[in-house]
Amino acid sequence: MAIRAGVARLSIGVMFAVVVYLLPVVLVHSPYVLFALTLTLCYAIPAMALNLLLGYTGLVSLGHMGFAGIGAYVTAVLMKNGIAPFAPAIIAGTIVAGLVGVLVGIPCLRLRSHFFIIVTLAVGLILYLLFNNLDWLTGGAAGLPGIPRPGPINLGFAIIDPRRPLGFYFLAATIFLLVFIVQYALIYSDFGRSLAAIRQDETLAGSRGVDVFGHKLTIFALSAAIAGLGGGLQVEFLRAAAPQSYGFLENINLVLIVIVGGAGSLFGPTLGALLFIALPEMLRVADTYRMVLFGAALLALALFAPRGLWGLAVSGVRKLRGHHSALTHAGHP
Amino acid sequence: MPAILEVDNVTKSFGGVRAVDGASFRLAAPGIYGLIGPNGAGKTTLFDVICGRQSADTGNVRLAEQRIDQLRVHRRARLGLARTFQECRVLEAETCLDNVLFAAQDKHLGSEMMQATSRRTGARRTESEEAARLLDLVNLRHLAAEPAGNLSFGQRRLLEIVSSIIARPRLLLLDEPASGINPTLLNTLHDFLLRIFAERQIVVLIVEHNMEFIMSLASHILVMHQGRVLEQGPPAAIQKSQRVIDAYLG
Amino acid sequence: MGVTLTAFIEQVANGTMMGAIYVLVALGLVLIFGVMEVLNFAHGVIFAAGGYVCEVFFVHVIGSYPIAVVLTMLTLAIFGVALERAVFRRLRVNMPMQIVASLGLILMAENAAVLIFGPSALQLTVPSVRSLVRIGDLSFTIQHFVVIAVCVVAIAALQIFLQYTRLGTALRATSQNAEAARVIGIDADRIYQLTFATGCALAALGGALIGPLFLIFPQMGDLPLLKGLTAIVLGGMGSIPGAIIGGFAIGIIEAVSTLFIPTDYRDMVVFALLIAILLVRPWGLFGVRVRGDV
Repeated sequence: MAIRAGVARLSIGVMFAVVVYLLPVVLVHSPYVLFALTLTLCYAIPAMALNLLLGYTGLVSLGHMGFAGIGAYVTAVLMKNGIAPFAPAIIAGTIVAGLVGVLVGIPCLRLRSHFFIIVTLAVGLILYLLFNNLDWLTGGAAGLPGIPRPGPINLGFAIIDPRRPLGFYFLAATIFLLVFIVQYALIYSDFGRSLAAIRQDETLAGSRGVDVFGHKLTIFALSAAIAGLGGGLQVEFLRAAAPQSYGFLENINLVLIVIVGGAGSLFGPTLGALLFIALPEMLRVADTYRMVLFGAALLALALFAPRGLWGLAVSGVRKLRGHHSALTHAGHP
Repeated sequence: MPAILEVDNVTKSFGGVRAVDGASFRLAAPGIYGLIGPNGAGKTTLFDVICGRQSADTGNVRLAEQRIDQLRVHRRARLGLARTFQECRVLEAETCLDNVLFAAQDKHLGSEMMQATSRRTGARRTESEEAARLLDLVNLRHLAAEPAGNLSFGQRRLLEIVSSIIARPRLLLLDEPASGINPTLLNTLHDFLLRIFAERQIVVLIVEHNMEFIMSLASHILVMHQGRVLEQGPPAAIQKSQRVIDAYLG
Repeated sequence: MGVTLTAFIEQVANGTMMGAIYVLVALGLVLIFGVMEVLNFAHGVIFAAGGYVCEVFFVHVIGSYPIAVVLTMLTLAIFGVALERAVFRRLRVNMPMQIVASLGLILMAENAAVLIFGPSALQLTVPSVRSLVRIGDLSFTIQHFVVIAVCVVAIAALQIFLQYTRLGTALRATSQNAEAARVIGIDADRIYQLTFATGCALAALGGALIGPLFLIFPQMGDLPLLKGLTAIVLGGMGSIPGAIIGGFAIGIIEAVSTLFIPTDYRDMVVFALLIAILLVRPWGLFGVRVRGDV
C-alpha cells in the first residue's frame, strides 16, 4: 500500500512537470499568455518559499519580498556589470538572501508570535528603503534597467535561448520545478513532520526532542534563500530591478497569493500565483478594480476558509468521495 | 545501582517565595514512583525544574549520572527524559499513528532531512509495527488513522503516554495523569499504566493529587512539603506516617 | 558646522506635532490590542478614511472644519463597530488571520479610494488654520497648535472616560480579565464594539487633523500605522501612558534625526528603532514582561 502511494505520487509529479513544460506549446500562441505564465512561475517561487514558513511552520513573515529583493539585486548587479554569468549570479543571489535570512532569523525568531510578525514587517520595510535609497548600489528609485539575459544553452538535442520568450519560459519552468521538488522533499521528510509539530504545538515538539529554534532558523534561512532565487529569476525575466517590487503592498500581495492559494499545501502557492498574477495579466482587468476584488477575496478567505482555495478544493473533492471531513494534511495555524 | 534520576539540593524561588527549598532524592531501580504533597509543597515547580521548563537557582539534576540542569528541554528529551503534560498535549491535526511515529523519529536535523516519511524502508516498517503495537496496548489501535483531535480526553491521555515511551526513554515523568479523567475510567487508566510499565521497565515518576489513584499504582512514594522531600517509602508506610498526615492537615 | 539651536527647536516642535498624530493612532491601536488582543493592521486605512471623510464633509456638507472633524469621528466610529462585528469578532483568537483580514481590508480600501476619488491626491484647504504664527525665527501654521491641543484634549477625555465613567471602568475590567468581567455582568461583546469604535474614532481624528497640513492620498495611513505600532511597542503593548510617551518620542526622534542624516532615511530610523526595541526589550517601557519573552 505504501509502495502504491509512492508510485502514485511519482506519476502525479511527472504529469505535473510535463504539463508545465508543454503548457505554452499547447496553449494559444499568444505572447501575452506566455508572458503571464512566465511571470507566474517567477512569483510562484517566493510564494512557495513563504508557504514553507507560513503554511507549514506557522511563522507569519510580512517582509518576505525583501529577501526576493536581495536575491534580485545581487543577481542584477552581478549580471549587469558582467561580473558573473547567469548560473553563478543567481546562485550568489540565493546564497546572499539565505545568509541575510540567518542574520535576521537569529535575533528575531525567539520573539513571540505577534512581535515576530511586526519585526518581519519592519525588516521588509527597511530592506525596501535600502533598495530605494542606496543609489550607488541599487540605482535608487529608478532601479537597475538593462539586465542581460543568459546566453543560449546547448542541451545536445536542442538549444534553449533564454533571450527569447519561449526559451526563457523553459528555463523558468526548470527552476520552478526544481524548487517544487525541494519543497516536496522538505515537507515529506521527518524535517517536515517536525515543522508541522512546531506549528501545532511548540512546547510539545520541544519536549519530544525537537530543537525548535534550530528548526525555525533552518527553515527561515531556506525560505529566504528560495525567495532570493525567485527574485533573481524575476529580474532576469523583466530585465530590470526596481524597488517598488519589494514594497509594503508587494509583501501583502505575496501573503495574499499564499493564503488564498492555500497555505500548507504543495500546489496552493502555484494556484495562488496563477490566480493573482497570470489571470489578471491575461484578462487585462483594470488594476484598481482587481485589487479591490482581491482584497475582498483575502478578507472572505480569512473569515471563512483559512485553508485557501486549494483547501476548499480538497475538501470539496473529499466530500464528493464521501470521506468524513477529518483532514490530516497540514492546515493553517 | 547507578541512579537514573538524581535531584541534589535543588532550590527555586519566584519573587520572594521559595517554591523548592533544598529538595534531594535518588531514583535508581525501575518502578513507578509517586510524588505527592499538599498544595504549595513545590511538586509542580520541582517537576518543571527536572523537565527543563524552569531552571534551578542552585543544586543539580542528573539523568543516568549526567548533569542535565543546564540543558535545554529538547536536549534532555534526547538524553532519554520523556514527559507528559497536565493539560495533555497531542498533535490534534495528525493521526494517532502519526503522533506516535513523530515521537519515535530521530530528531537530529541532519538525519531528519535525509529521511522521507514514507514507510517503505525496513527501519520505518519496524517503527510502524512498534507504534501499532503500543496503540494496541491501550486499545487505540482501531483509531490509528483517526486525527488525535477527535479522541476523547481519556484516549488522548493514553495516546500522549504511549507517544512518550516509544523512543525508549530512561525516565518517564507523568504530570497528573489522572486529572481530567472521568472517575469511572480511573481504573482503566490505572490498568493501562501498569501495562505500559510492564512494557517498558523504566523509572516512572508521577506527580499526582489523586491519593487513591497514586497509592494503588506506585511502589514507592515521595512526599514533598514546604519545598523539601519530607518522607519517602512504600505507600502503606506513607499512609500511616504521622508526619505526612500533619503536613497535609497543618 | 553644527546644528543651530533654532533648527533643533524647530524640529522638536515639528516632532511634537507629528508625535501628537502618532499618539492618536497609537492610542487607538493600544486600546484595541489591550482590550481585545487584536492587532488591527487596518488602522492605517481608517486613518486615511478619516482624511477623506473629513474632506467630503468639509467641502460638500458643512463648511465648518471642527464640525466636519466631529462628524468624521462619528462616522468612522460607526464603521468601526461594523468592522468589529463583521470581521474581527470571529478572528479574536486567531492572530495570523486577523492580519490577513486586515491586509485584505487595506487592499480594498486603498484601491477603492482611487476608484472613488481618482488617482491624484486631495487637498483639504481650511483657511482658518492656514495662517502663520511666528515665534522668534520660526513660523508654524495654526494647525500645528490645533493638532497638539486636540491631542491633549483627546488624551484627557480618554483618561476621564476610562477612570471615572462606568463604561470606562467596564472597559478596563474587560481588558484585564474578560472572563471575570463577564461573570460580574459586563457584556464583553458591547465592550469590544465600544473599544473598536473608540479606536477608529481616534485614528479618524488623526487623519482629519493631518488633512490640512499635508495631502490626502490612499496610502497616507501606511506610515502612521507603522509608526503607531512602533510607538506602542516602545511604550509597552498594553499601556496607555506608554502609547502616549511612545508616540511623542517617535515623533520627536524622527524629526530631530533629519538634522543629522538625509531626510530620505528618516523613516528607516523609526523602523530600525522598532527592530532594536523588539530585540532588546520587547515588552517596552511600561509593558509587562511575560514568561517566554527574552
